[in-house]
Amino acid sequence: MATETFEVEGHIIDSLILAKVLDTILDAGAEYRIVDVEIGRASTDASRARIEVEADDGVLTTLATELQLHGANRVEDADASLAECDRDGVLPEGFYSTTNLRTQVRLGGQWADVASPEMDCAIVVHDSGAATTPMHRVCVGDQVVVGLDGVRVQPLERPRGANPFEFMASEVSSEKPKELLVGEVADRIRAARSAGGKLLAVCGPAVIHTGAGPDLARLVRGGWVDVLFAGNGFATHDIESNVLGTSLGVLLEQGLPIEHGHANHLRVINEVRRRGSIAAAVADGYLTGGVMYECVQLEVPFVLGGSVRDDGPLPDVYTNVVEAADAMRALVPGVAVALMLASTLHAIATGNLLPAGVETFCVDINQAVVTKLADRGSHQALGIVTDAGLFLRLLAEHLCS
Amino acid sequence: MSLPLSWGHRYLMCPPEHFGVLYEINPWMHREVNVDADRARQQWENLKGTLEQAGATIEVLEPATDLPDIVFTANAGVVSGTQFVPSRFRHPERQGEVRYDVAWFEARGFTVDQLPEHVHHEGAGDALPFGSVLLSGYRFRSDAASHAYLSRLTGAAVRSVELADERLYHLDLTFCPLDGRRAMVAPDGWDRYGQRVVEALVPELLVLDLDQALAFCANSVVVDTTVVMPSCPPEVGRQLESWGFDVVVCDVGEFLKAGGACRCLTLALDVTLGPQAAR
Repeated sequence: MATETFEVEGHIIDSLILAKVLDTILDAGAEYRIVDVEIGRASTDASRARIEVEADDGVLTTLATELQLHGANRVEDADASLAECDRDGVLPEGFYSTTNLRTQVRLGGQWADVASPEMDCAIVVHDSGAATTPMHRVCVGDQVVVGLDGVRVQPLERPRGANPFEFMASEVSSEKPKELLVGEVADRIRAARSAGGKLLAVCGPAVIHTGAGPDLARLVRGGWVDVLFAGNGFATHDIESNVLGTSLGVLLEQGLPIEHGHANHLRVINEVRRRGSIAAAVADGYLTGGVMYECVQLEVPFVLGGSVRDDGPLPDVYTNVVEAADAMRALVPGVAVALMLASTLHAIATGNLLPAGVETFCVDINQAVVTKLADRGSHQALGIVTDAGLFLRLLAEHLCS
Repeated sequence: MSLPLSWGHRYLMCPPEHFGVLYEINPWMHREVNVDADRARQQWENLKGTLEQAGATIEVLEPATDLPDIVFTANAGVVSGTQFVPSRFRHPERQGEVRYDVAWFEARGFTVDQLPEHVHHEGAGDALPFGSVLLSGYRFRSDAASHAYLSRLTGAAVRSVELADERLYHLDLTFCPLDGRRAMVAPDGWDRYGQRVVEALVPELLVLDLDQALAFCANSVVVDTTVVMPSCPPEVGRQLESWGFDVVVCDVGEFLKAGGACRCLTLALDVTLGPQAAR
């Protein structure tokens, strides 16, 4: 399929030229999208429409001739302008800054998809095609797209027809029946997985604090989680709860703090450090259950991103944030559904890396997290305002029973 | 009866000194058909006299050698007040006419505004005012894309009509405004969108059938209540007379050999387009 843009101008409404042009497009078996339309305010004012037409190459060529007859001319797009990087990790001035939407660049008169859509990156053009590249990864000699010419983004299409999420009119739902919502999320996960997509879980420590660790572990064990992103806190408390029965010193069974419990997480971090890695702690029998344990057993790849306030940290934690983001980035391709579970910073960090097409469910007790995620450009995120513990319990019941 | 046309009292005509069928650029033209120069001259003089008698003033453009179709002054361009937008002829055979047309208008103080070079438009042959709208044909001689430029230059709301029959290759073979509410129309010459556009524009239609259209009935000149026609079938005449028009038939048979009749031989000079256009 090829896409071309046509422009038609004049008294195209009164003359029924616009209607005729659109009919002509449909009659040819092509699809149109009116990208821009300016309707004259008075009868003497001209109107103007910009129409994007998608059709097979052959059809498009014939159609272009026919449309030209009615005054609709192909808009000649310019090729993207390129500039060369002259320093590693530094982009040329005026570089095109990406969105997370599907993006195309025009090179040699042809529109080509940009691989790995990701926001806040540059577009680097190689012999093999164009791809998003974060600033720190560009090298001397890389050809980088500059300016806006020859770049176009495709807005996210809302699925037509019956969509299970149509009832969620608002993007954030605090007053919706949760059980129903969880059922819908489970259906979406099943659909995405059966289409070959991966499920990414992004977890905050509250998942463990709220007692949902075993439910998430059950989901991992059931093979539902393909990739896991978290921080030092989540992994530490998951291990602490499985080794010592507490999360941040609070007994998960009784909900009561134990004496000197505040040091429990430090003790488990210390023991894992002694062994060299979480996998080693699993191998020698120190860690015998929980989310991290299941990830190691099932070889589910995980990235633990560090922060300045981390205790320890665990040996698996990336202490270099740029390396952490790169490690996460490497696991993003193929992800179709992302669950952001009671995590603010990791959710936003992940949101920055995900293409807009990834179905993202942000589960948090705090509505502000969901809003924050959307404010930072992850508009595809649907928020479910609820306790992550309850959400995961219901989800595990839907998917694992 | 509704108000007569505000325009149509001053025309530009060009005597047929060098007229003939020297090439074929429409289905009516056949080089083997000879034009009788004397008859052509007589018919032209008769048309001029008829229009003058009906109350019109006629200005004359000097004929030019090697440009047989320059007699069809309707195709010189579009006039609006003191503005002249010269045609961009599709066929090279007629492109030579433009400099003579432009010179004539410039000499009389008209502002000459040009259409861009990449579009074709054949003047009043493909553009006739109705009320405040300029109805313009496209496909065979003029491009639809020219209409937006024409609108921009003249300020007129241009409504486009796609011509559908090659024999009716200009709008003025299918459309003839009669007064503020009425027009003679040949819908067979338009596509279905064009038919709807005209239906919406003109309150009262005198519909010509295909035979009447092919007899060039719509290629008539209206001076107040006089309709000067190349031929007039009885039923058309009756309708016109019932509306209060006087029909005068002017034989222009020699010019029909080149695919043109009364309207093609005249260019109205008193047209004002755009928001200032009267009824």
